[in-house]
Amino acid sequence: MAGAKNHDYHILDPDIWPLMGALGGLVFTSGMVLYMHEMAGGVAVLGVGIALLIATFFAWFTKIVNEAERGDHTPVVQLHMRYGMILFIASEVMFFVGWFWAFFDFALFPAPIREAADNVWQNLIGQEGAALLAQFPPEGVEVLDPFSLPLLNTLILLCSGTTVTWAHHSLINGDREGLKKGLWLTIALGVLFSAVQVYEYGHAPFGFGGNTYSSAFYMATGFHGFHVLVGTIFLAVCLFRTYKGHFTPQQHFGFEAAAWYWHFVDVVWLFLFIAVYVWGGWGAPVYG
Amino acid sequence: MNLGDIARNKLQSLALLVAAVSLAILPQSSFAQEISEPATSVDEAVAEGQSVADGEVVTETDAPAFEHFGPDMILGQPTSFEDDAIASMTFQDQYTVNGDYALWMHDAILMPIITAISLFVLGLLMWVILRYRRAKNPNPSKTSHNTLIEVIWTVVPVIILVVIAVPSISLIAKQYQAPPEDAITIKANGYQWYWGYEYVDNGGFEVISNMLSVEEALTAGEPHQLAVDNRMVVPVGVPIRLQTFGADVIHSFGMPSLWFKLDAVPGRINEKVLTIEQEGIYYGQCMELCGARHGYMPITIEARSMEDFNAWVQSQPGGMTRAQLDAEAAAAAAPAPEADAEGEEADADAEADAADAETAAAAA
Amino acid sequence: MATTADGFQAHTEDHAHDHADHKPGFFARWFMSTNHKDIGTLYLIFAIIAGIIGGAISGLMRWELAAPGLQVMGQVVSALGGDGTSFDQQGHMWNVLITAHGLIMVFFMVMPAMIGGFGNWFVPLMIGAPDMAFPRMNNVSFWLTVAGFFSLLFSLFVPGGVGNGAGIGWTAYAPLSTTASPGPAVDFAIFSLHLAGAGSILGATNFITTIFNMRAPGMTLHKMPLFVWSVLVTAFLLLLALPVLAAAITMLLTDRNFGTTFFTAAGGGDPVLYQHLFWFFGHPEVYIMILPGFGMVSQIVATFSRKPVFGYLGMAYAMVAIGVVGFIVWAHHMYTVGLSVNTKMYFTAATMVIAVPTGIKIFSWIATMWGGSIEFKSPMVWAMGFIFLFTVGGVTGVVLANGGIDDNLHDTYYVVAHFHYVLSMGAVFSIFAGFYYWFPKMSGRWHSEFLSHLHFWTFFVGVNVIFFPMHFLGLQGMARRYPDFTAAYSYWNEIASYGYLIMAGSMIIFFVNIGYALLAGRRAEDNYWGEGATTLEWSLSSPPPFHQFETLPVIEDHHSADDHISAKPATA
Ligand code: HEA
Ligand code: HEA
Ligand code: CUA
Ligand SMILES: [Cu+2]
Repeated sequence: MAGAKNHDYHILDPDIWPLMGALGGLVFTSGMVLYMHEMAGGVAVLGVGIALLIATFFAWFTKIVNEAERGDHTPVVQLHMRYGMILFIASEVMFFVGWFWAFFDFALFPAPIREAADNVWQNLIGQEGAALLAQFPPEGVEVLDPFSLPLLNTLILLCSGTTVTWAHHSLINGDREGLKKGLWLTIALGVLFSAVQVYEYGHAPFGFGGNTYSSAFYMATGFHGFHVLVGTIFLAVCLFRTYKGHFTPQQHFGFEAAAWYWHFVDVVWLFLFIAVYVWGGWGAPVYG
Repeated sequence: MNLGDIARNKLQSLALLVAAVSLAILPQSSFAQEISEPATSVDEAVAEGQSVADGEVVTETDAPAFEHFGPDMILGQPTSFEDDAIASMTFQDQYTVNGDYALWMHDAILMPIITAISLFVLGLLMWVILRYRRAKNPNPSKTSHNTLIEVIWTVVPVIILVVIAVPSISLIAKQYQAPPEDAITIKANGYQWYWGYEYVDNGGFEVISNMLSVEEALTAGEPHQLAVDNRMVVPVGVPIRLQTFGADVIHSFGMPSLWFKLDAVPGRINEKVLTIEQEGIYYGQCMELCGARHGYMPITIEARSMEDFNAWVQSQPGGMTRAQLDAEAAAAAAPAPEADAEGEEADADAEADAADAETAAAAA
Repeated sequence: MATTADGFQAHTEDHAHDHADHKPGFFARWFMSTNHKDIGTLYLIFAIIAGIIGGAISGLMRWELAAPGLQVMGQVVSALGGDGTSFDQQGHMWNVLITAHGLIMVFFMVMPAMIGGFGNWFVPLMIGAPDMAFPRMNNVSFWLTVAGFFSLLFSLFVPGGVGNGAGIGWTAYAPLSTTASPGPAVDFAIFSLHLAGAGSILGATNFITTIFNMRAPGMTLHKMPLFVWSVLVTAFLLLLALPVLAAAITMLLTDRNFGTTFFTAAGGGDPVLYQHLFWFFGHPEVYIMILPGFGMVSQIVATFSRKPVFGYLGMAYAMVAIGVVGFIVWAHHMYTVGLSVNTKMYFTAATMVIAVPTGIKIFSWIATMWGGSIEFKSPMVWAMGFIFLFTVGGVTGVVLANGGIDDNLHDTYYVVAHFHYVLSMGAVFSIFAGFYYWFPKMSGRWHSEFLSHLHFWTFFVGVNVIFFPMHFLGLQGMARRYPDFTAAYSYWNEIASYGYLIMAGSMIIFFVNIGYALLAGRRAEDNYWGEGATTLEWSLSSPPPFHQFETLPVIEDHHSADDHISAKPATA
């Protein structure tokens, strides 16, 4: 580090983890390719890639936490992190826009398997005409009852939104116990959500691929599920840090970032619930 | 309201100019629908007249002789620099009404405008180079604002764009005119890597069309890379409902001299009307990257008179003219319900075929 | 930009010498860097390497297209270990080459050069910041780009259908990229975009945060140099467009490998959906590739005219407008897929709107020169070349914007001509302009102005000879992505291929010039362009200290109020 700086920005020492992380990314994606094509060494390469990525994330975030504890995160640096997190979430939103786009394309302008050719008139009489000829979800697909497990999951996530806010308020008011309880509860709800989701996947009446409904359903809810997992880990890290005595009522951006992320995950779920589960399956035969 | 009216009404055209960019937002449907009201009457008359005429010819089972056009009938093809330098730098000659309009729009509006803009920018650059180089102008001015000029260079481009947009929108409207009910439907199926032309309304036979080798093409007096073994024969002067469909990947049915290009997409049928004005041979190519032999699946259309077309249809296995189909339908349903039945049947055929192609694609 | 540097120059000078120049060892410095200038240098070196590879591939392409028939592809196939006599493998190799050329030029040459290279170097310098907001993340952005490049290289050596490599075009349309291209090559190519895209998204957050948060005291948004504005807008485009691409190509992956049917018609999927998703990214992407160029040209034109940029605010907000409108015109790439009539009309009209803010920029550059005292140093000639050639490329874009006209021109060489005028001339000219403008600043050494001018003129002639005839070919109906063509197209193709030779010779001059500068170049002063160069980087030494602005500069409010904010009555 370069000695006498007269500003509050964070000038960092050289670090090996960016290189490792990128390498991990390349090994991971290459491993994916080998694995998907059942080529030699696929699983091994994939494993190394995942290990590298996990190591990178672990080392990287450990560094950030240490730097925070060391006091490197001046107010302006904290502001950086806020911007960074908001922008990251904005990009995540656009990622989900992609999946919702696919879903709505299928739902609004469906082309069931055997009737694909019926779109003859689509260009001349508009999409409505074509839509009459097709249906979504495709014929023969039974959907999950939105008002059973999915509704439960909605409530779980909404609840977890309040518990994380509880934790936040406790943190601001110096109530460490409340913080711990709130976090424990949020994490527990997150795990519960994931468990319900896994159960639901396991018992869903339709397989992973094969038609537009299940493709859009699994990829959208699946990516959401992955984000729940990441959010849960993020919160767990916060809990761990709480036990280590980190976070003060004044400075606790790590926690706030986790909370923002969690709310983002929550909101995405609400859209998924309304669009995919309730609206998307409307009128289709319900399973079970 | 239509475009002519707008142009004639001074107030309206003024409003249109001022409202420049709102063109971008205006729902264009009102324009479109009125213009695209099918002008069926003439076409119907033509088509009816023809089917009557055909009726007499085709009741005899022996098909009239058919001979393909020779290279002297080639109309739609690129021109080499050696043959005609200017022609090798511009659009191919057009043989459809919409093509003529589009060509006019390009040559009379777009080209002059973009050339003028480019030269204008070049001229300004030249001027500042000459007038404001350091040797000529050692003391720079400090001007960094001039509201008037800024308004001008915002508004003038807007006006230019409106001038472009008006014929452009009406060109699109023309291109989307609905085909008359009885237009002949031909379906172009793109395969890796050849075309299949399905004569939906003529018995549903499919002509498989492959590129000729360089030697074969040159021997036949045709351009290599463009000539095919089996041409897509179509009737001249009547609207064709041309459908495209991709059997495996996306292909595109591109005909430069007919101003026609439509992607052949798996899982959906695109369609547009094509009316070729003149008898002759027209070359086109696949215009969407579709794999290794994307460059080697050309299209040759041979536009023939209705009589020749019917003769050709009968020379094809399973080929039937309209009149033959009508007669058959009438015979099949003795107390004939309605003449319409034929149309419906043809449509049903089309659907069945499409579904077949679909399942075939899925299986492949 | 009339931000003046006199107020703080003294401070930075003192600090430059004691500790700020302490550099880490070789490995730590170049492989573990957290220094925006070093990372910028890495990006530039990477971009040059990628540019050489992408340019060499285009040489193979021009060689093949010099005459009808297949002459070159067989040898390329053989060289890469395939069966050079197989007709299909030759055709496939063509597709592999254009795919690699397009992807390399777009993702690994232009973007790394402009955003990664010049953005990293000069955004912090111009806003008076000591570094980027997230220095460590900055580095992972770079290495992810490299990782992406490697993934693309891997794809060349594994099966991708008929032969090795991904032959799907840079647009990777389904179902050609899904059901019709078995083998791992396409997966490697897709992951290449994932990796590079992740790097760019992280880079975008970094730039936005830096620009919003690390401006020196007094450097308001409306005093920021236009290059910084351009990077800001570009970063937003990246941030919002790339994730949609990520989703789209993830769908490709799952369609290919896990049985989903997003784009598979047999499962009710919609191949056109892919195109919507791709172009929702792809159109903003083309502005991502040109906006930083706009920014650089603005700096350069002002510097060498010795005048502040004309209509500063209009220039900044024109870029914002281009960015915003850029998100709602995507389907102009899809006029022939079977859009409904209203959709086609809407996209026609919306697309043409972009010509207005772009025109504002062109005319404002000229107005900046107007009344100026213009010095034709190498960056300036490249910038002026940019203005003219970009205009030519832009107006052919307006021709293509007309849905009814595009029915004939889509997927012909007219489109190839259009986008090479805006890219291989627009973007590349601005890169060279920026390069000559800042090279002495970055390296501390002078290039040869003579060679730079020679490079300009030969390159100018070369690329015009390559790409202008492509308009003719396109009008005549020659399709793109063809390795072969009918005899009628021979003449102009041959001319274009000769143009490539001129251009290639010109690039040799460029490399000689860099070599000369690095080995024997004169030392560069701090502000070697003199009076006209007013942005903060000119207040620093050449090259700047390893850590600059250890005491933040303060931007004083000299004449900025007159210059930018209030509209003075016309003086002329
Ligand atoms: C740097 C990249 C870049 C830039 C800046 C642009 C700028 C523009 N592009 Fe281009 N474009 C590409 C890169 C770019 N494009 C690429 C890579 C493709 C092909 C992708 C593929 O298929 O592989 C493509 C394809 C493409 C198409 C699809 C063609 C087809 O596939 O059929 C269209 C159609 O509308 C289009 C339009 C435009 C327009 C209207 C602009 C406008 O922004 C231009 C505006 C500029 C001007 C107009 C000039 C300056 C203005 C004035 C001097 C004012 C006065 C002018 C008027 C009043 C007209 N482009
Ligand atoms: C930025 C983008 C870019 C650039 C610079 C170029 C440059 C060139 N391109 Fe390319 N091209 C594309 C983007 C680009 N192209 C794309 C997207 C496609 C479509 C692909 C597809 O269909 O999928 C395409 C397709 C394409 C085709 C059509 C192929 C086909 O459809 O079959 C052809 C044919 O001649 C061609 C030729 C060339 C040539 C001769 C050059 C020459 O100008 C090359 C000369 C080399 C340079 C000008 C680079 C020099 C730069 C450096 C060395 C780096 C310098 C860096 C610093 C100073 C920091 N290109
Ligand atoms: Cu078929 Cu290209
Ligand atoms: Cu575009």
